[in-house]
Amino acid sequence: MKTKAKRRLMQSAAALCALLSCASALMLPASADEPYDVYNYNYLGEAVPSQAGYLAERSVSGLDLGTTALNAPADLFKDEKDQFYLVDSGNNRILKIDSEFTEVLEIFDRFTMPDGSETRLKNPKGVYVSPDTGLMYIADNENARALVTNPDGTVVMEITKPESTVYDQQLTFLPQKILCDNAGNIYIVLNNTTKGAAMFDANGDFIGYYGANAVAATATVIANHFWNAIASEEEKRYRSRSTPTAFDNFDIDTVKGFIYTSTSSGSTDTDIVKKVNPEGYNLFSYMSNYTWGDLFSTWYSGTSYKTKIVDIDIGDDGSINCLDATTGRVFQYDKEADLLFIMGATGDQVGAFTAGNVAAVETKGEGCENIYVLDAGKGTVTVFGQTVFGQIVHDATAKYNGGYYEEALEPWLEVVKRDGNYRRAYLGISSAYYNMGRYRESMEYAKKADASARYNRAFERYRSQWLREHLTQLLLGVVLIIAGVMLLKYLARKQKNKKQPSEPAQTGSGT
Amino acid sequence: MMDLTQPQWVKHVVFHPFEGFEDLRWKKGGTLKYTAIIIFALFIALIAIDRWCGFQFRPLPDAMFSVVPYIMRSVVYFLAWVLGNWAICTLLDGEGTMKNIAIYSSYALIPYIAQMFAQVILSHILVRAEAVFFDTVYYVGIIWTVLLLFNAVKAVHQYTFTKTVIAIILTLFAMLVILFLAVLFLSLFQKVYVFFYSLYTEILYRVRV
Repeated sequence: MKTKAKRRLMQSAAALCALLSCASALMLPASADEPYDVYNYNYLGEAVPSQAGYLAERSVSGLDLGTTALNAPADLFKDEKDQFYLVDSGNNRILKIDSEFTEVLEIFDRFTMPDGSETRLKNPKGVYVSPDTGLMYIADNENARALVTNPDGTVVMEITKPESTVYDQQLTFLPQKILCDNAGNIYIVLNNTTKGAAMFDANGDFIGYYGANAVAATATVIANHFWNAIASEEEKRYRSRSTPTAFDNFDIDTVKGFIYTSTSSGSTDTDIVKKVNPEGYNLFSYMSNYTWGDLFSTWYSGTSYKTKIVDIDIGDDGSINCLDATTGRVFQYDKEADLLFIMGATGDQVGAFTAGNVAAVETKGEGCENIYVLDAGKGTVTVFGQTVFGQIVHDATAKYNGGYYEEALEPWLEVVKRDGNYRRAYLGISSAYYNMGRYRESMEYAKKADASARYNRAFERYRSQWLREHLTQLLLGVVLIIAGVMLLKYLARKQKNKKQPSEPAQTGSGT
Repeated sequence: MMDLTQPQWVKHVVFHPFEGFEDLRWKKGGTLKYTAIIIFALFIALIAIDRWCGFQFRPLPDAMFSVVPYIMRSVVYFLAWVLGNWAICTLLDGEGTMKNIAIYSSYALIPYIAQMFAQVILSHILVRAEAVFFDTVYYVGIIWTVLLLFNAVKAVHQYTFTKTVIAIILTLFAMLVILFLAVLFLSLFQKVYVFFYSLYTEILYRVRV
């Protein structure tokens, strides 16, 4: 009898345990799979916990792709057909990979020159494939040249050090990154000049430099400018000059034709990311000192960790993806440079990278469904996939940035349901209600987003709406108040008049 | 003539900037109770203008609130003014007692406080483009208060115009000195406190060991 009861007790306890463990497994947040805490920034610039927009799905090595291991890969590029080109610098080759990122389609390690001879790459650093012509552009770093080749590997053009007087002949010509625009102009990032990217026309003739960074307006620079203005030519030669930092990576938005540059130098905060139009003018100059990446650098046991953006990628939806080498994080911005998601970390797990050794970021899909991060230290490519939350945010952002505020309302409401910390959603909802004429709600959500100017706009409309509806009552009220005041004054005067002269009369009437 | 109750005195003084304080002095009106109320209202008004404005005008997030600066800007500044003015004017043959200086000065602050509350109310009705109304209200309040304060000092000490100007300028200097000394004393007391506290803990450790 006693043992039976005991057994039953044991059984029920075991069942309870199982139930509890089940429940706790179900209750775990989705981000628990990540080797890092997912965060985003609120309007005060504080890091707050957030839902993950992307999850690391797998990491792909050279062996997984059906070839030998990668050796210090330097660049990753995705062409119009969603096929990838991976620059395997240490092995002096370029791999063409299928769109699912599972196998190597082609290995480019030797090319045929126009005169029929064979040539090999030496530590190539960058690759670009033109969407219009299908030509492949290769920054062949240690051969001091850039190659333009057909898809079959025959070289069309070889660009070497220009002999123009504009190009300082004492400088070497070591191409780092390369791309070409819709007009066929070729841009090459060199590592030894601050004047910008070297620009060549479609025939390979040197045109000049393109898109240099601005000099940060520090006190020293301003003082220098002043002294230079009053110095003689002789003195000027000995004065130090203010030079900007050089950008070291770029990407082109093939649809719009803008070139986005990124600067990894830790010594400046100016022009970290630029959006340059074909004229060379920086469209992001109004936010020249915008903090890209982490808003604050952290100080930990003697070392300062500051965001260092080593690669930039423009997604098919216009999103700006920046890769931070310091923390191994990808910062995804929409095309208006508002932060969408942060993913990645440093470490050994899938979704974490070698500190200071990530090389390239690439995205795929209409709504940036996948993000690829190339880790040069591990020799792997990590594939991130979009979560449902990420999908909704991208959907809402695309509609919102396109001006379809009312259409964006539903996805934004869904975003708020899933992550109450996501500030942009409140802004989106506020804008949607404003366009729908529901100013009261618009004000409420603007308040939640702490957007004072937006609140002001909605309040102005709400006020005129309220005045229009309540004009009659308002006028009536004013008239009533005036009448009341006049009546009171009249009564007071009457009483006063009665009091003073009628004092003797009062006694008379009393009798 | 002029047998006014205390609230009527407040009204009389505020609306008669030039002879109001002379009347107040002549009839020995005014009470410290109202001074306390007015300074408290000043404290509330300072908070209100930072916190209770319509959201379209509020730049300060709620997360950053500390009551200390508001106490500083109301009570401490007022006390420094009264103390400084009393110290200076005693030397300059002023006739005012400390109590009267406190009463008269506080009555003079009423338009300034009213101006702040008016701004708070207006901020719920106006939009940003109409912010110029705030400036109007603000300048009216400030000028009125300056006028009242000047005449308050003039009446309480029975000064001439020039002597009042000199007294006010010197009072402002005196305020600076007082505040400087206050900060000095505070940090000194802090150090003394820390010293005795560490002494205490040290003794405690010795006793245990």
